[in-house]
Amino acid sequence: MIKPLLLVLILTFSISAFAQKNYIISGTISDKSTGEQLIGATIRIKELPQNGTATNSYGFYSLSAPDGEYTLVFSYIGYETVEQKISLHKSQAINLGLPAKNQLTEVVISSNKPNNDNVASAQMGAEKLDMAQINNVPVLFGEKDILKTITLLPGVKSAGEGNTGFYVRGGASDQNLILLDEATVYNASHFFGFFSTFNSDAVKDVNLYKGGMPSDYGGRLSSVLDIKMNEGNNKGYTVQGGLGLISSRIKVEGPIVKDKGSFMVSARRTYIDYFFGISSDSTLKGSSIYFYDINAKANYHFDDNNALYISGYFGKDVLGLKNTFGTNWGNSTGTIRFNHLFNNRLFSNTSLVFSNYNYVIQSFQTDDSFKATSQITDVNLKEDLQYSMGNRHTLKFGLNILHHTIAPGNITADAMSSFNNKSIEQRFGFENAAYIGDNWRVNDKLTFLYGLRLSGMFLIGPGTFDTYDNAGNILTSKKYASGASVKNYFNLEPRFSSSYQLNDESSIKASYNRNTQNIHLLSNSTSSTPTDLYVMSSNNIKPEISDQVSTGYFRNFADNIVEFSIETYYKWLQNQIDYKDGAQLLVNQSVESQLVFGSGRAYGLEFFIKKKYGRFNGWVGYTLSRTELKFDAINNGSYYPARQDRTHDLSVVGIYQLNKRWTFSSTFIYGTGNAVTYPTGKYEIGGLTTFSYSERNGYRLPSTNRLDIGATLEGKEHKRYHSSWTFGIYNVYGHANPYIITFRDSKTVPNTTEAVQTSIFATQIPSVTWNFKFQ
Amino acid sequence: MKKIKYWFSALYVIFIMASCTKVIDLKLGDKTGELVIEGNITNVRAPQYITLSRNVPFTNANTYPPVTGAIVSVTDALANFRQFTEGPPGTYSIGRLTGQPGNTYTLQVTTNGKTYSAVSVMPAPVKLDSITSVINDFKRGNNLRDISVNYLDPVGVANQYRFTLSVNGVQVKRVFTYDDEFINGKYVNLELVQNDIDIHPGDTATVEMQCIDKPIYTYWYTLMQQQFNGPGGGITPSNPPTNITPVTLGYFSAHTTQSKSIIVR
Repeated sequence: MIKPLLLVLILTFSISAFAQKNYIISGTISDKSTGEQLIGATIRIKELPQNGTATNSYGFYSLSAPDGEYTLVFSYIGYETVEQKISLHKSQAINLGLPAKNQLTEVVISSNKPNNDNVASAQMGAEKLDMAQINNVPVLFGEKDILKTITLLPGVKSAGEGNTGFYVRGGASDQNLILLDEATVYNASHFFGFFSTFNSDAVKDVNLYKGGMPSDYGGRLSSVLDIKMNEGNNKGYTVQGGLGLISSRIKVEGPIVKDKGSFMVSARRTYIDYFFGISSDSTLKGSSIYFYDINAKANYHFDDNNALYISGYFGKDVLGLKNTFGTNWGNSTGTIRFNHLFNNRLFSNTSLVFSNYNYVIQSFQTDDSFKATSQITDVNLKEDLQYSMGNRHTLKFGLNILHHTIAPGNITADAMSSFNNKSIEQRFGFENAAYIGDNWRVNDKLTFLYGLRLSGMFLIGPGTFDTYDNAGNILTSKKYASGASVKNYFNLEPRFSSSYQLNDESSIKASYNRNTQNIHLLSNSTSSTPTDLYVMSSNNIKPEISDQVSTGYFRNFADNIVEFSIETYYKWLQNQIDYKDGAQLLVNQSVESQLVFGSGRAYGLEFFIKKKYGRFNGWVGYTLSRTELKFDAINNGSYYPARQDRTHDLSVVGIYQLNKRWTFSSTFIYGTGNAVTYPTGKYEIGGLTTFSYSERNGYRLPSTNRLDIGATLEGKEHKRYHSSWTFGIYNVYGHANPYIITFRDSKTVPNTTEAVQTSIFATQIPSVTWNFKFQ
Repeated sequence: MKKIKYWFSALYVIFIMASCTKVIDLKLGDKTGELVIEGNITNVRAPQYITLSRNVPFTNANTYPPVTGAIVSVTDALANFRQFTEGPPGTYSIGRLTGQPGNTYTLQVTTNGKTYSAVSVMPAPVKLDSITSVINDFKRGNNLRDISVNYLDPVGVANQYRFTLSVNGVQVKRVFTYDDEFINGKYVNLELVQNDIDIHPGDTATVEMQCIDKPIYTYWYTLMQQQFNGPGGGITPSNPPTNITPVTLGYFSAHTTQSKSIIVR
């Protein structure tokens, strides 16, 4: 598999080596006023339309062209397009600051035409979120939320109302790789999923890959959500923040050394608990219920060729009842990165990444006091290299060594307690990967993005590792010494995407991808709970594997102002995980005996039309899809709809800028109800009315629909100070969307049963936030 | 641990102040007429009952047609064979059987030409020390009580328990089942947390404690998991795994039993 690929690579490179002498233009592109590096900004040569490139995650670009006179065009969404004439007689560095479009003064379409990247690029199944647009999308309680906004894209479905969990192309919510500055965020939600862990103030760039995953990403089956934090303003100090209904936030940024280094610190905290403090209800009075998070980042550019970045995130949820119990859970991540430019073609990034998720549950009552903890810790060393080969190849290759430590559960109790001390063995493992990928612009019509990722899972001792029979009894039990190899898995993951441009405005694309997953979330609840438990692939659990093929037609209208696409996909899933009835997952040494394994398939059609520019902008996304699972023990081994199966899913987002001060926005969603299991009969057991079931997920919740509106009022312009108000109404027509349907003995008619629908936000929920900025 | 889970759900509910519930009409499937077997053998010298019925559509009244004319027997490990006789329709009983802890009982039911069997082992009894009433932590303002059961879990052996709670003679419609995974060998004060019936001072509370075997624990635990409608709607419901073969609804449990009553203070 590797050999022919290398051969192709060598062959194509030697061809370009024979081409005429090229010179290289390289550098970084940043925001002119803040020095913030721009990710994915495009650079093209007017005279050589196919010689375009885009900046990488660090704002770096490199492209080449033969000796000559050229006009370089630098562009980035939300920024003025800049043209620069150059005489290219030797390789040169061009570092450029792009001015942001002043949204207050300019609402007309820029005279520079938007580019047709979405048509020309071989990348498919990818979406880059525009942070300015996110800020205008109305959300629950006015808390701007990346995770909720991405569920408005086709192929991405919300796990439910008041839930930041999301399903991508039929994948489960633990099959999304969520990265914050390269660190895995295991539990991306606060407060059982009502809010995401990402404070949008601190976020610079969000990319979602739902298919066509480049080979530099791996480890999860269905998607990659790559989030990059702001670097901080390296020109001047600013303080900004907001006061909202649920939380307040503040961000401080500024230069460490002007134009060379900067820092950014952003924090947010909720304050519902202060309302509890003044509540007359004694139960509420003694309870604590809040979350906070802090994002911090600093960078320093030693010279044009060397830069260091340090960033971190820390977040915590706290929930407790006075003298009774307390619990807290949260993520922390840390990333140290070193960029080095070996020469104007070879860019290197070395990262050392730390990530941790933990929870603590404590009972304070003397007769049953205990403290239960669980955590997962990752240390990841990554080396990523990018090489611009001629003007047709951008090569990416690298290595990744990721060490997992999972402490599944640990209970400590004092002697008076009715609980025993109990500790579940820790698990250790490495997830290592090597990858190579090439973006090959064959000619001005055909582009390939192809690569290969080799992933290895190494489960190592110390510990006792058991295997189980179908009934969950221990078959074999073996002790391993520290560092001893318990189980290894190797997987080759080919990644291939291509685009063929039919004309300037339209293209067809196709892709095939294999992804594997070696870390699995065990949770038999539908939403994110603090007690999320992770396990690695082991002697009982095989790596999950997904193969996805997709094709698409991309068409732009009105000089690329309107983008349209249709994508279709089919996915085969192997080694999917479900739980036995009555599975006990918490603090269980034999947790792997509680699992059953099966397969799945997902397919769908996605329509997307987006107007990116102008006074009125927004998008419409529609997905028609099916997701089915197959387990021997469920539904007699035939396919049944997965919980995340949703036939129709529609999102409409509209943003209208009325004048310099007022912007209005609105979103509408419609979705088929989740697949659920309803009773098909009832009987009595132990004096209780009990329901009987005949098929898994054989029914549907009623469909969901909701309209939200928002408005932003920009304050009057001041030289050093700016403020704005954001208003919103969630669920404008107060629709009672089904959250859950339960079955019980009737409360009104004796000796009968009834079905009860619970809706959590069945009424209009207004919100108001005041934002400020000093500079 | 179980109580913590309940608190999670409860606090979560406080947060969702805008939530609302309504009774709705649903078109549900009808897979009924299936045999339901509920069999219990206890260590108390009293009649032992096996009841046979059939499940009914969701929209029917909660009355279940008895299965009459079946042949029902229980055999123990010493090959003592006992035939049960039908009293009221669908209820099969024997008056002379006192179950012995440690003994294995095999139920056999033949009806409509099909024979069902189930095996259950009666565990050793654990003494129910006392039951007490404690202040309900969650609704402190309302002067409500919870009932706590107190017993010493035997060290070194795996025990499983099921409790039933009645308030003024009305059964609380909840499953309470626990094992000793976290409490082995400890003196246990276990609150039977529930929200079905409000318990006030002056009420009479009665608790039955059953010591059950592992498969029956899994049966009840599955039912108990399904009654938590916490964040996101809990787990996907299914028929709990039965110890009856071929598979049908219900269970057969050989267990020890003891009861205590208190006036709630």
